[in-house]
Amino acid sequence: MFLLFRAALILLPVFVLSTAATAAEPLHVEIDRLIEAKFAGRSPAEQTDDTAFLRRIWLDLAGRIPSTTETRQFLADTSPDKRQKLIDQLLAAPSRVDRLENLFHVMLQERRGDNEEWQKFLRTSFEQNKPWNQMVREILNPNDQDENLRGSAFFYTSRLKPYGQNATDWEGLTRDVGRLFLGVDLQCAECHNHLFVDDYKQVEFQGLFAVFRNLTVRGGVKFPAINQQAMTEQLEFVSVFDPAQRQTGPRVPFMKEFPVPPLPEATDGKPAPKKKLTPADIGFDPLALLATDLPVAENDLFVRNIVNRLWFAMMGRGLVMPLDLFHSGNPASHPELLDLLAREFAAHQFDMNWFLRELALTRTYQRSSQLPAGTEMAPPAADFLVGIEKRLSAEQLLESVLEATGNAARLKQPQADGKPNEEYTKLLKQFQAAFANEEREPEVDFNASVKAALFLLNDDDVLNLLKPVETNLAARLAKIDDPRQLMDELFLSVLVRLPAEEERTAVLAYLEQNSSRRDVALGHVLWGMLSSIEFCVNH
Amino acid sequence: MSRQSLCRPWEHQLSRRRLLGTMASGAAGLGAGALGGLVEPAVAEELSRQEKQVIFIWLDGGMSQLESWDPKPNTQFGGPFRDIETSVPGVRFSELLPHTARQMHHLAVVRSLHTQDNSHSAGVARINRGDPKNRGVVYPYFGSAVAKLLGPTSTGMPPYVWVKPYSSGFKADDAGFLGARYGALAIGDGEPKNDGLPLEPPENLLLNPAVSEADNQARNDLRRMFNKRYASSRRPEWTDASSYVFDVAHKLMERIDLFDDTKISDKDRERYGQHDLGRYMLMARRLIESGVRFVKVNSYHWDSHGDHFNGSQSLIPQFDQPFAALIEDLHDRSMLDNVLVVVMSEFGRTPRINSHVGRDHWPEAWSVAMAGAGLNRGLTVGKTNAEGTFVDGQEHDVGHLFHTWFQALGVASQEVEYNNAGQPLPIAHDDHWPIKELLA
Repeated sequence: MFLLFRAALILLPVFVLSTAATAAEPLHVEIDRLIEAKFAGRSPAEQTDDTAFLRRIWLDLAGRIPSTTETRQFLADTSPDKRQKLIDQLLAAPSRVDRLENLFHVMLQERRGDNEEWQKFLRTSFEQNKPWNQMVREILNPNDQDENLRGSAFFYTSRLKPYGQNATDWEGLTRDVGRLFLGVDLQCAECHNHLFVDDYKQVEFQGLFAVFRNLTVRGGVKFPAINQQAMTEQLEFVSVFDPAQRQTGPRVPFMKEFPVPPLPEATDGKPAPKKKLTPADIGFDPLALLATDLPVAENDLFVRNIVNRLWFAMMGRGLVMPLDLFHSGNPASHPELLDLLAREFAAHQFDMNWFLRELALTRTYQRSSQLPAGTEMAPPAADFLVGIEKRLSAEQLLESVLEATGNAARLKQPQADGKPNEEYTKLLKQFQAAFANEEREPEVDFNASVKAALFLLNDDDVLNLLKPVETNLAARLAKIDDPRQLMDELFLSVLVRLPAEEERTAVLAYLEQNSSRRDVALGHVLWGMLSSIEFCVNH
Repeated sequence: MSRQSLCRPWEHQLSRRRLLGTMASGAAGLGAGALGGLVEPAVAEELSRQEKQVIFIWLDGGMSQLESWDPKPNTQFGGPFRDIETSVPGVRFSELLPHTARQMHHLAVVRSLHTQDNSHSAGVARINRGDPKNRGVVYPYFGSAVAKLLGPTSTGMPPYVWVKPYSSGFKADDAGFLGARYGALAIGDGEPKNDGLPLEPPENLLLNPAVSEADNQARNDLRRMFNKRYASSRRPEWTDASSYVFDVAHKLMERIDLFDDTKISDKDRERYGQHDLGRYMLMARRLIESGVRFVKVNSYHWDSHGDHFNGSQSLIPQFDQPFAALIEDLHDRSMLDNVLVVVMSEFGRTPRINSHVGRDHWPEAWSVAMAGAGLNRGLTVGKTNAEGTFVDGQEHDVGHLFHTWFQALGVASQEVEYNNAGQPLPIAHDDHWPIKELLA
């Protein structure tokens, strides 16, 4: 990694350094080879059984658990390549757009609110399977002329607000661009070179800050938009440890600095007032330069950041953790693999669908989250010997609850006036309030909260989903007399698996004790399942 | 409550680490509450009695030191009120604090506060965070800091509860960089609901009326059964974290009596008074008794730029009566040795009386009162000059107070650091120190 940083600094193309694996085999085969090479004789967990795989891939690529019909279909399919077929089917389905919109919205906005234009930008991007480098270019330099693209400015406008001691939080925006697009958290390098991360120099922060501090939110328009004032001189800064004045032009961190051109001679002999100049006036547009030169294959950090984040989304742990702390003192758990992923992703024109497909096809992805029998000590998560549990977003959880309880069809049907169902909208807000992180907090770790527990325990709207309405699960179960069939339907619907014998016995005994009020008792069984950890995470 | 019967060696390891409160992951931040099920209730109560706790009373807008802790009668800026004797010879309070004056032998008053900000907008946060050096991060308020550094008590009650006017709920803002889980559980005073509940409990705290106690037990037993099967073959952290929050939720639901006005004795009602601040301070005492680690109480409307003396005459007694009762109760219950009580604002008020007969913002020289948790009793620290305009002698900033309070709570404030994703951060201003006179 240290070499790579140096390489980036002196603008060597990264490809020169990567001499290892040749991609003779498909990427997913190479991934498994490199992951398994580190097992060193230890037994990995088994591959998932069909139901565990099915639940996992639906949550990851469709954002919800499968319906019982979808589950039964998959279980009945005896073809050997049925997993691959399902992966392809889910990647081609419209639900992929919903899922990726949610994944990237939460990743990039960190719960700073939402905006219809931003949604439109994300949705059209994922509908077209837009290459990641293009998407980032469009985010970094918003195109206010194109209705499908202009919403990308929400990334800026949602951040150009007062925060803490900053009247406009350009510093926070600078930090986030580093974190989210390059995997480097330069916050500590704002006032001095980072004290513990040698690679993070103050000039990298300040150079990126120089690009953004000329941005303001544009008023008077109904869509998110920004203005950029011209940059007419270098940014001056000092370190709190060193009073020497230093300067920088705008920079792509760890890659290049754009020299600030001298102000053009004014024709009438008087220089134009600096305040009113636009980038076009002086032919120097730092935002456009950044957007052109940051999201490129040669920018090692840019490529590694996104493959690491997509790997994290699918595998539950980044090859580099924390996701925004790439530096030479924090190497990847599998450096050669990270190299390979970055190289291949760039070689495939930043095609996220292709990349997600390759990850999903690996044995690594399809490994069970159950520890091998006889395990005394859980192996380190970073070895990927055992499938890693993943947090569900508030939205994944809600969609899964609606699917499990058979209320999705009813509540996701738009109203007569074309607006989303009111009950659905309310539930979405409630789920976000209970399960999402606070604004500005990345959603990485599982975040159990007392608030969410109380919500599940006592909220009327949650409990109402468990009552028989139309053809929802509770209503379907009420009509099943055969105990075995009842249990199978219940478990397949909610936990996407068949019951173990002891569960069947315990639940039937409980229902038997409450035979005079079976609907109520079934509601409690449903609740016990929905609030279990098994339901609330992707495992 | 629900320990799995199939424990693995690493689970014991986990519990021990949690007890020590040193783990940094999501599950671990939940702290010693994992002990909730392992300790007998009676033992737990005893343990929590010996554990340090905090009641932090915030008088928003700024209480006047001249009408309370540091009166200057018969001077240019002294105002119309007299001073009175306290239970400690030589220490005198404003006559607006007659009840509190009788508790002075339990109190410590610092009269040499000199802080940095005279605006509400920035000052409130700066004081609440201990005004550390700016390192580009958002520091936690005192309550979140204590929730992080000490964790919940062994009772399993949430570590940080905030009794406040208006809204209730889970408030993350106080936590700063520590993250939302160290935020406050707020108990608010909403619109009158005519349901016999004096303070609004957090949302969803009442067991849903459609679910009987027995059914709640049954459905949670089912939840535990599914969890147990799931956890038997998986890493335990997430199941533990989930079980823990359900345990805390139930712990809170069991203590719904805290919100039941009929449980309050007539004597307490009379002693604490029926105005908001009295009810809040009584609630604070009950929360501390129930095992909450840190209780913050908020009171508003102390920013008396006009008609200050009439305002003080009505407002300060609303503080005086319940505060004295609180100190008396904590002492009577042998709790004052372990419970730190602090009264403060973002600043004091100007000695100079303005043209609206008000006092403005004055961070230059003001007072903070405190008691308990082993702090020395019956003393004043520092002094102001004869007219109360400036500190005479050593000034103290809020950083000195934070050091002192952390020390009283058993936290070595000059050694312990936060770890903010690898960035070590001092827990209090690194140029300040604990006030020796206050520490035993």
